[in-house]
Amino acid sequence: MVKRHSPEETKVAMHEVVAEMYDKMVKGEPPSMTLPVRTKNNIGFDSKLGVYKYGKKRSTRDATSLGSAKQLLRTLHVVEFIEQMIDAGKSSTLREMYYISESWGMGKFGTQNDSNNLAEDLEIVTKCLREDFKLRPEEDGARMIGNLTLRERNRRGEWMTINARDDVGDSGYGLPYNVEEEKIELLEHDIDFIMAIETGGMFDRLVENGFDENYRCGLLHLKGQPARSTRRIMKRMSEEWDVPVIVFLDGDPWSFRIFASIAYGAIKTAHISEYLATPSASYLGITSDDIMAYELPSDDLSKKDIEALNAELTDPRFADTWWQDQINMMLDLGLKAEQQSLAKYGLDFVTDTYLPEKLKELGLA
Amino acid sequence: MGIAQKLADNQKQVAISEFFEKNKHFLGFDSLARSLITAVKESVDNSLDACEEARMLPTLRIQINKIDANKDIIEMKTTDNGPGIPQQSVEKVFGQLLFGSRFHAIRQSRGQQGIGITGVVMYSQLTTGRPTHVRSKIATEATASVVDIGLDTRKNKATKSNAAREIWEDENGELVEHGLEVTCRMKAKYQKGRQSVWQYLRMTSIVNPHADITFIDPEGEVHHWPRVTERLPRVVESIKPHPRGIHLGQLQRMCNESQDSRMTVFLRGSFSGVSSRSAKELCEASEISEKTKPKGLKPEQMRSLLEAMQGEKTIAGKPVKLLNPPTNCLSPIEEMLIKKGLSKTIDSRFISTMTRAPTVANGNPYQVEVGLIFGGSMAADKHVEVLRFANRVPLMYQQGGCLLTKAIEAVNWRQYGLEQAGGKGLPKGPAAILVHLASTNVQFTSEAKEALADNAEVMEEARKAIMEMGRGLKKHLQKKKKMAKTQEKFELINDILPAIAEKSAQILDRPVPDLAGSITKIMSAVISETQTTWNKETKMTDVSVVLFNYTSRARSYTILCTWPEKFGATLDNNELGGRKEATGVWAWKLATLDPGERITLSYSLGGLEKGDWTETDVFYRGSQEVIGASKMDEKFLDEIRQQEKALREAGMDIIETRDNESLLDFESDDEPTEVVPDEYDQPTVEAPEGQQTLFGGGN
Repeated sequence: MVKRHSPEETKVAMHEVVAEMYDKMVKGEPPSMTLPVRTKNNIGFDSKLGVYKYGKKRSTRDATSLGSAKQLLRTLHVVEFIEQMIDAGKSSTLREMYYISESWGMGKFGTQNDSNNLAEDLEIVTKCLREDFKLRPEEDGARMIGNLTLRERNRRGEWMTINARDDVGDSGYGLPYNVEEEKIELLEHDIDFIMAIETGGMFDRLVENGFDENYRCGLLHLKGQPARSTRRIMKRMSEEWDVPVIVFLDGDPWSFRIFASIAYGAIKTAHISEYLATPSASYLGITSDDIMAYELPSDDLSKKDIEALNAELTDPRFADTWWQDQINMMLDLGLKAEQQSLAKYGLDFVTDTYLPEKLKELGLA
Repeated sequence: MGIAQKLADNQKQVAISEFFEKNKHFLGFDSLARSLITAVKESVDNSLDACEEARMLPTLRIQINKIDANKDIIEMKTTDNGPGIPQQSVEKVFGQLLFGSRFHAIRQSRGQQGIGITGVVMYSQLTTGRPTHVRSKIATEATASVVDIGLDTRKNKATKSNAAREIWEDENGELVEHGLEVTCRMKAKYQKGRQSVWQYLRMTSIVNPHADITFIDPEGEVHHWPRVTERLPRVVESIKPHPRGIHLGQLQRMCNESQDSRMTVFLRGSFSGVSSRSAKELCEASEISEKTKPKGLKPEQMRSLLEAMQGEKTIAGKPVKLLNPPTNCLSPIEEMLIKKGLSKTIDSRFISTMTRAPTVANGNPYQVEVGLIFGGSMAADKHVEVLRFANRVPLMYQQGGCLLTKAIEAVNWRQYGLEQAGGKGLPKGPAAILVHLASTNVQFTSEAKEALADNAEVMEEARKAIMEMGRGLKKHLQKKKKMAKTQEKFELINDILPAIAEKSAQILDRPVPDLAGSITKIMSAVISETQTTWNKETKMTDVSVVLFNYTSRARSYTILCTWPEKFGATLDNNELGGRKEATGVWAWKLATLDPGERITLSYSLGGLEKGDWTETDVFYRGSQEVIGASKMDEKFLDEIRQQEKALREAGMDIIETRDNESLLDFESDDEPTEVVPDEYDQPTVEAPEGQQTLFGGGN
């Protein structure tokens, strides 16, 4: 189970990682670090939590090759860095940590991604959260518009009450990177469901057409692959307010993965799936049926798209019949389409016809 | 003048230009671009041959100027530092067709492939109406002789004009001691690129590493190919013809000229490879009495003798057994010099060269040499550059139809690391392949002498040699990969691992752990590091091989290293002793290495120049793989031993060290070696239309 750690607990957890390396060397063996395997081959459904988590497979990173040895060294640098931050009461973004690593000599990071991945590795092994490490992401939080009210504690430590319709402009309310209780308190709402939308264009379309008012919902712009904070707030709203979450995305294999990360847990964050996933979320569209039924302007699937779809066929998160059908349908059709292609039938088609029909099927309109 | 005489004169007149027109292609003047290359070639060939015969290191200078771009008139000026030509011989050399020492003897010579400088004089006269200006200085005279040699088209004779003597000073104002300068104009085109004067001279410099060549092109740009060795090519001996390779005309001539009183004496003395017994058997097979005088042989007897020599007439069903001809009539370029020549001209990572032992085909001795140069700045997506040579003369045309190219194409390059579409044709990659055929009788595809004719034996010999190159390349590429891995491991245990130990100890506030055990488990290999470096002070090449045992068990090895024994190097400062394994391969049986232990093997090589030996191949015999060395390939050793044997038999096993050759050791009283002997045999090349010479004069 995921929980927050105190600074002391965090340090102890990190020292265990270091100790594994140290003890090996003392024994006359090459130092190593053991972590769960983080691919789709090692995720399994946890029925108690209703989400996908890492299984028992472990991989060992050891110093027998130059690449892994450097990773171990980097890990040590990161541990040292985090301890320093904890002691100094500061925090840093992942990007800042990447730049700070330039001064670590042989232990510096090659790319930003390497830096992010190592932070995740540490989270997983120590069972701490990024926040415990005082590390913040770069990612943009989502934007929300709708008749829902919450309280945010600003940087001066004061609580501000914000209604996401009356107190915000047309861009809506922007979520901060930390959406935990110490930062955000969910107050009240008058919505029937939350619609999470993939593209900014579609979000703006629905806002302009007043969809949130006409259909009593909260609109949330995911900004593509949603940040942890976005997924976390969706989960909190879904549970604390008991409102359904509908997800409206483009119709392509990558969007399927976006949905999976929202509803089932992302492979990369499977160690904290129960923290971030909203198992009750539903997929609204665009589906292959929609592409065919509405004859939407579409593109051929590229080689990468096809590879992605085939990989999804064996991804445990898409194992149920509905998903298998959807994926196979798309492979057969050979096409993908954007959600904004609905504009073929006019700017208001999506709010006048498409969404109402879909919501009716889901019992929400 | 009678009508007959008039007609005869006219006929002669037509004959010269007609001769030229009809035979432009095989004389090398069929295109404007080619004409210039032919002119350069004849001049350069002469200079190189002259310097070699005089045992001097050649320094050549070739300058091309555009005189009239519209009319394509080019001026060529070539200068060499050779022995020069005595005044009285200049006319003969430049004005007489097929005149020279090159044509008569059976030995490897450049001259087989050209009509000589006379062809250039002819072409120049015919296209510009101007004579060729020759300046020649011999060492024993104070002044140089100058003269203009031309062709009188009406009288069919060489013309001499403006003969004089002058003082010849070089650009520094110093007196030229000896040398030759030829200036002539002709209708020709200067072009750049693959079939150009530049490329011709570049290739010439590769296979004549002892020559210093400077080329000034029409734009004034100076290209300089310095010499990479002071060693002159071997002195070649003429050999007598071998019965298997002779033809009827030659046999007839030899019989007619022979003063011998009996057939057996004639056969033993005038041919190579004929013992007393073989002489008797030849007579028997051809049904000619041993006592017959060769001069008195009848035509059908000569034919019979020829058939016996070719093995068509037999004794008891078997052809007469003959010995192989000697092969000391060949002068290969030599592996190390090819390597030096290539490395000076082409930027690269890896060069491998090989000189095969000489052998015989159809009664003619021949020898194949190959070189492969790889990496550096050559383009990886283009076909490899093919450098073909016959008797040290570059072949620039008809690449596709040449035997040497076919030999390259007949190798499966994909297994050696080069691309080759469909396994056929020329490979692609950042490489150049050199093939040189040295022979007393090179067979060409046509009179134009641009490409070598098909010959199964020569092709196979060349292919085998080229495959060796391929194997070397493959090993080099594998070695590089392995070395990269070894470097990584060294970085790991020398830098990263200690850092991990320190930092983890620091974070946990505990003592730094000892790394010995971890290192052994990480490496779990035996590593060897080899260094081959030139020592400026001792003027020797130092070689050191360090062996590290990073495994958990004791190991014992025999280490073998290659060294250039064939080139006269000496192995010194060899404390560990060892023993000779084969020519150029020395072996040391090392004491057992405990885990974590290392041992250093070192020695020095003398008798070499800087850059002669830059990479040592290290082999091992032992149970555990050694990273950085190759397992001893017993087949490789066998091949070396076989080649050793063949070279010994040819008398070519150890090349003389350079102390034997010295530059310009003439005393001024000595007569310089004449390029032109007073007596000479008639040329073996048949003159066209029954005429021996065109210009009249001489024999």
